[in-house]
Amino acid sequence: MQTVIYTIVVLGVLGLVGALVLYLTAKRFHVEEDERISRIEDLLPGANCGACGRNGCHDFACACVEKGSLEGLVCPGASAGAMDSVSEILGVAPAADRERFVAVLKCNGSCTVRPRVYEYDGAESCAVMDAVGVGRSGCAYGCLGCGDCVGACRFGALSINRETGLAEIDPQACTGCGACTAECPRRLLELRPVGRRERRVWVACSNRDKGAVARKVCAAACIACGKCSRECPFEAIDVNGNLAYVDAAKCKTCGKCIGVCPTGAISATFAPAVVNEKI
Amino acid sequence: MRNTFKKGGIHPEAHKEASRGIELLKLPRKAVVPLSQHIGAPARPVVSKGDKVRRGMLIAENSAFVSAGLHAPISGTVAEIVPVALLWGKSTQAIVIEADEEEHRADTELRQEYWANMIPGESDRLLSERLSPEEIRRKVSEAGVVGLGGATFPSHVKLDVKSEARPEMLIINGCECEPYLMCDDALMCAYPGRIVEGVELMMKAAGIGKAVIAVEDNKPEAAASLSAALDSAHDISVRVLKTKYPQGGEKQLVEAVTGRRIGSGKLPASVGAVVHNIATAFAVWQAVATGQPLIERVVTITGDINPQERKNYIAAIGTPFNEMPFTLPASPKIIVGGPMMGRAAVRLDAPVMKGTSGLTVLDAGVKPNVRACVRCGACVDACPMGLEPYLISTYGRLRMWDDAYAAGVSDCLECGACSYSCPSYRPILDYIRVAKQRCKR
Repeated sequence: MQTVIYTIVVLGVLGLVGALVLYLTAKRFHVEEDERISRIEDLLPGANCGACGRNGCHDFACACVEKGSLEGLVCPGASAGAMDSVSEILGVAPAADRERFVAVLKCNGSCTVRPRVYEYDGAESCAVMDAVGVGRSGCAYGCLGCGDCVGACRFGALSINRETGLAEIDPQACTGCGACTAECPRRLLELRPVGRRERRVWVACSNRDKGAVARKVCAAACIACGKCSRECPFEAIDVNGNLAYVDAAKCKTCGKCIGVCPTGAISATFAPAVVNEKI
Repeated sequence: MRNTFKKGGIHPEAHKEASRGIELLKLPRKAVVPLSQHIGAPARPVVSKGDKVRRGMLIAENSAFVSAGLHAPISGTVAEIVPVALLWGKSTQAIVIEADEEEHRADTELRQEYWANMIPGESDRLLSERLSPEEIRRKVSEAGVVGLGGATFPSHVKLDVKSEARPEMLIINGCECEPYLMCDDALMCAYPGRIVEGVELMMKAAGIGKAVIAVEDNKPEAAASLSAALDSAHDISVRVLKTKYPQGGEKQLVEAVTGRRIGSGKLPASVGAVVHNIATAFAVWQAVATGQPLIERVVTITGDINPQERKNYIAAIGTPFNEMPFTLPASPKIIVGGPMMGRAAVRLDAPVMKGTSGLTVLDAGVKPNVRACVRCGACVDACPMGLEPYLISTYGRLRMWDDAYAAGVSDCLECGACSYSCPSYRPILDYIRVAKQRCKR
């Protein structure tokens, strides 16, 4: 019985001494931090994606408080409401509405239109696959479907659709941080403005081979026929280097180009306004 | 006791089954010459569509110091300059030449004569004494000679040795440690005298007094024929090394021959050595002595094909591989180069290039499943650079580029000994290669 009592007493005293040391140390080395920093940090996404150009969310919050304003500081991941709260904490006027960006995939080559003709038995990684050759299909420009971009996304906005074999972007979850654009070895992901009423038009192909060559490997390849460019009333489409490109700044998302594209290489987030009956 | 490098290394089955003879492959009717066949800036075309070209004529020039010119492998007309797909599917700009019927016949005869006279022909031993180092380098540069061991580094740049480096020894790499391939072996057996003369020219060009031709001990015929071709006027010797892969790696070879280790990130010149491939020595001789630019090379076709079809060919650069006489197995896996360092080919209508040493056609068979890493350390034992492949590979997979760099990924020579030795069949090298590329950027 005595042993038990001794043990309790000794351990209790040791514990008290330890607690005292910790308490005094904490007092002695306490760093005064602006409480706004932690409040701002709570409002941020906390993904430490680095899209703001800072070393993570804490660094961003520190920068906000240090500057005392949101000038030159943008968190692409935070919602507009969250940023308004941040400006409230800082005591400044809310920042003007900024344009929101989302990633789009510049490849339409699903398994059906772009048959997977080669066997690949290396490591399941786009970077590896691209380094050693063309990948499973014959297209040297298209989506490889191993999901390097999925691993790069901190917001769970990307996934690989097993049926099409292509990367898919959830525009609601995408914050436009751009981490995926750097990860894709073929640079197939592009940040484009969300657009009015979430309407976006882009050329979902990156094949820079001549039309006949591109068409051979993928039925949905851009063959640079230029029909879209001629159809566009706003001169928003340029055909350059065997590939069409829709300039988001000029595009009014009328959707006329979608209807005239003979291969269906132009993608949009909405049904085309005018459908060309002949095709 | 024969020398070899000390750290790591493996002994893959050699499969050197092709016949040792060299056959002339007929000139193609249509030659495709990619503009970037070497390390460095792509060559700049000096011909345009519709131009008439003669065999051996310059068609693209050096565009920078580290670059190499290209010459017409056949006589004919420039049909177009377009992107064409290479063996592994990626495309690059190339000059397409279509043969002229009459000239094609004349070229074929001239070529047969050229190669027939190669063996007994009167050799000009004094050539290396008559020419100045600058002249030799200029001729090598004009002929578009690049390192034929696979790295395709322009040879004139490598022969321009800075005097402060004070190299003592020129090492000629005749190891051909890569399984299956036999193009260097065949060349050494067929034209030893010409190779030795090429080495003499290289010694003069680089200002080096001593040369060692390194041959592995699984090629006794090559070593014997080279030894017989030596003369006492020059300090050239043949060194037979103990067979071990990757002996052909620059750092491994220098260690095997001189016993000196090259530090991380350093060049062989740091220990007083310069390494060139055996086929490059032959190409240098061709360029200087016969004036023929690099428009042909020896290519091995081997693997799981009909034994009679396993051969070495002298093929014109730009010859499509589907013009070579061999039949594919039922489920082929075609590798450009050897199985250790080569890359898989997806099409055969692509041309022979300066760096293409051959095709290894394998029967694909069943691929074993990749299992988890058991931390056995087989890859660490196999790595000739003393790295920890399993670790760097994991860093590569998890995108931890800084850690990969700290673990020495840039020292990796991509020999594939790690993947070969892995009992779990993990694609170790794949991820290391990605990490290495990332760290370079």
